[in-house]
Amino acid sequence: MIDNKSLGSRVRLSVIYLLVIILGLLCLMPLINIVAISFSGSAAVTANRVGLVPVDFTLMAYERILEDGQFWRSFAISVARVLIALIINLLLVIPMAYAMTRTKDEFRFRDIYMNLLIFAMLFNGGMIPTYIVVKNLHLLNTIWALILPGAVPIFSVILMMNFFRGLPAALEEAAYIDGASPLQVLLKVVVPCSKPSIATIALFSIVGSWNDFFGGLIYIQKVEKYPIMTYIQSLSINLQELVNGAANSSTLQNVSELSNRNLNAAKIVVAVMPLLMIYPFLQRYLIGGMVMGAVKE
Amino acid sequence: MRKKILRSVLSTGLACSVAFSLVACGGAATDTDSQSVSDPDEREKVSIALGRQTTANPKFPEGDNYEDNAYIRMAEEELNIDITDAFEAESGDDYNRQVSLALSAGEIPDMMKVASKDEVKELYENDLIMDLTKYYDEYASDYVKELYDSFEGRALENVTFDGMMMAIPATASDPGTSMCWIRQDWVDGLGLEVDGDGDRCLTVDEVREIAKAFMTANPENAENPVGMAFDISLTSQGSDGTNSINAIAYSVGAYPRHWYTDESGQLIYGSTTEQMKEALSIVRGLFEEGIVDEQLGTRTWDDITSLLTNGQTGVVFGSWHIADWLLNNVYTLNNNAVFTPYAVVNSEGKVNCTHSNSTGEFVVVSKKCKHPELAIMILNLFYDDMVNSDELLEKYPEVNDYLNTGVDGTARPFNIEVKSNTYLLDEYSKLKAALNGTGTKEEIPTVEEKSNYDAITAYNNGTGDVTGWCKIHSRTKGVDLLSYLTDKGLYNWVTPIYPETTNTMETNWANLQTLEEESFIKIVTGAVDIDEGFDTFVKDWKAQGGDTIASEITEQVTNN
Repeated sequence: MIDNKSLGSRVRLSVIYLLVIILGLLCLMPLINIVAISFSGSAAVTANRVGLVPVDFTLMAYERILEDGQFWRSFAISVARVLIALIINLLLVIPMAYAMTRTKDEFRFRDIYMNLLIFAMLFNGGMIPTYIVVKNLHLLNTIWALILPGAVPIFSVILMMNFFRGLPAALEEAAYIDGASPLQVLLKVVVPCSKPSIATIALFSIVGSWNDFFGGLIYIQKVEKYPIMTYIQSLSINLQELVNGAANSSTLQNVSELSNRNLNAAKIVVAVMPLLMIYPFLQRYLIGGMVMGAVKE
Repeated sequence: MRKKILRSVLSTGLACSVAFSLVACGGAATDTDSQSVSDPDEREKVSIALGRQTTANPKFPEGDNYEDNAYIRMAEEELNIDITDAFEAESGDDYNRQVSLALSAGEIPDMMKVASKDEVKELYENDLIMDLTKYYDEYASDYVKELYDSFEGRALENVTFDGMMMAIPATASDPGTSMCWIRQDWVDGLGLEVDGDGDRCLTVDEVREIAKAFMTANPENAENPVGMAFDISLTSQGSDGTNSINAIAYSVGAYPRHWYTDESGQLIYGSTTEQMKEALSIVRGLFEEGIVDEQLGTRTWDDITSLLTNGQTGVVFGSWHIADWLLNNVYTLNNNAVFTPYAVVNSEGKVNCTHSNSTGEFVVVSKKCKHPELAIMILNLFYDDMVNSDELLEKYPEVNDYLNTGVDGTARPFNIEVKSNTYLLDEYSKLKAALNGTGTKEEIPTVEEKSNYDAITAYNNGTGDVTGWCKIHSRTKGVDLLSYLTDKGLYNWVTPIYPETTNTMETNWANLQTLEEESFIKIVTGAVDIDEGFDTFVKDWKAQGGDTIASEITEQVTNN
């Protein structure tokens, strides 16, 4: 009986492992394929001969990226956007979440604000009204159009609130007894204790603004001001649609020169790099931070 | 749809945005009411805001961009204007979204391109665009008028609403037949005989035999040789449909995705005819013989390109210009590759073909624009002067450089083509004359065709350059076949009706298209019985809105 049971659980365990491995591979293989394509000769790519290993290894695509002015311009815009958005997000989210965790005596309109937040999280104006607001604030074609509409991510506020609530009340009381002002308490006691969850919302902010391409498509109307992901999105061309549209043969020729897929793959690899480099450092906080916020005393 | 958006925007109390927008149109051009002087030298500089289509590979020299490039600088200098871009976005969904956003904000740029006649109509009905009739009459150059007139009135008719010219149309001349491109080096190597009578035309059976011979011989020892391949949508609306079965369908008198009237004046949708059934049964025969392979239902253009470059297949259907952007991949990989295009004929030895819609895209001018005549002047500058005046290009050498280096046409203020209906054959005849010595390079009218001449002569002198190979194929083989068919009177032309989108089309057309594509794939791959499957398709198609749409179009045609 005992043998049977352990055999059964072992089988069950290996089935689970197998499933997880397959799922992992499913996520990983397209990425490896893109990397392999980026290092392959363009002829081999056109002939669909590249799988997981580069064919006719070459660095041509990467050399051409170095010469692509628009790629680096867009790259710089995205870096600036990520940094500014990150600072603004943290500056707004942390004090807000801290205030929202005060008791009703300390913060009389807390519930009203909370309801406002929840409401704004569930309902929003939609694409066109938001566009009109951004336009009439004269933010179109500026980096602020990409940052300000998402300046207060409410999900992050709630995450921080849950984390703050989990901090021992005694910590703050001790600080108050020592004569600290609320601001001092926040900066010197609460924030240093909250590094894991701050890392979490920072990661959300970075990943979100680096990967967002749609904002660029809507609010940025000058090609040379596109952030990197919008630029890369514009490279994915549907030749078939173009041909069926009224495109002339010289446009088709220009486009087919560019639709050499190994160059585009290389651009994707370079664009994904920054996130791949940040992730390992923040990931342990990410897992820790999510769980810590969830458990309340 | 857009009308609805506009209305809902207004009703949600955001009307203030519209008021705002009054300020923005035209930018600096606020006080020009009194000075509608049209001579560029006598008035103050005016600002013109444009909606611009872009492309992923404009090939600008470093430092230039859409708002500031040689074409724009030339237009600004010549017409004393200042061009700014209200928005730029890539052709297709991205651009159309920007147009919709501009509309919903109640503000369109002074001039912008729109992709369809439906949009022109909506803009007209919402009273947002300018009547250009008198400006066209007064300012358009004779040459430009000739270009439009070469379409026998159809081009301008398409932009005329209640007798007013509401847009500048881009011309779309007939692309001709979908050719069957065959690997000539394989034919020679295997000692096959193609087109024994030398009339440059093949029947479907002859094409089948060649594909079969290629498959059996497998000249490049490829894994999985494929006789011929079609992409998953099978048919295409353009008569020259690439990777489509259009050539086969047309040869039996089926015109898929086209509306036209039969002898009795009855409106017909080409995909639902008996002839279409016959065309599908031919392709089904190819599939059963294994000439068209099992993957028919999943083939994309990229797949077909790789079949060709891998030497798996040596027969492909497509437009005259596929040599420039598709077959070039084959040559890059294999310098021995040579293709010869053939037309596919009907049982009487003629080539069935449909006329194009004569206009494709449009440039509209905002009702708030202070200088609508500038739209016509830009038209003259780019589609008359730049083509015909050598002095202009001497004055602007950087524009000449643009033309020579192939900077994309989207760099021009209007991303449209305005050419005569027969420009392709006219320009080619000059190129041909220059190549065989009866003419000179100087007599070739356009810069593009001149550079084709250079590329072809360089290739013939032994450079082996891919551009030369492409131009030899697209021009001296592809366009040459088109002009041969025209000269010998081998075409049997059909003039289809290109309807405006009707109410039922708006709601049902996408579904009907899906129904059509899915049914055809099922029929061709033998998943359903051919007679039963096709009859069911026709019945469903009619029931799901096809009949209503047909009557709406009939009404539309009789009203016009």
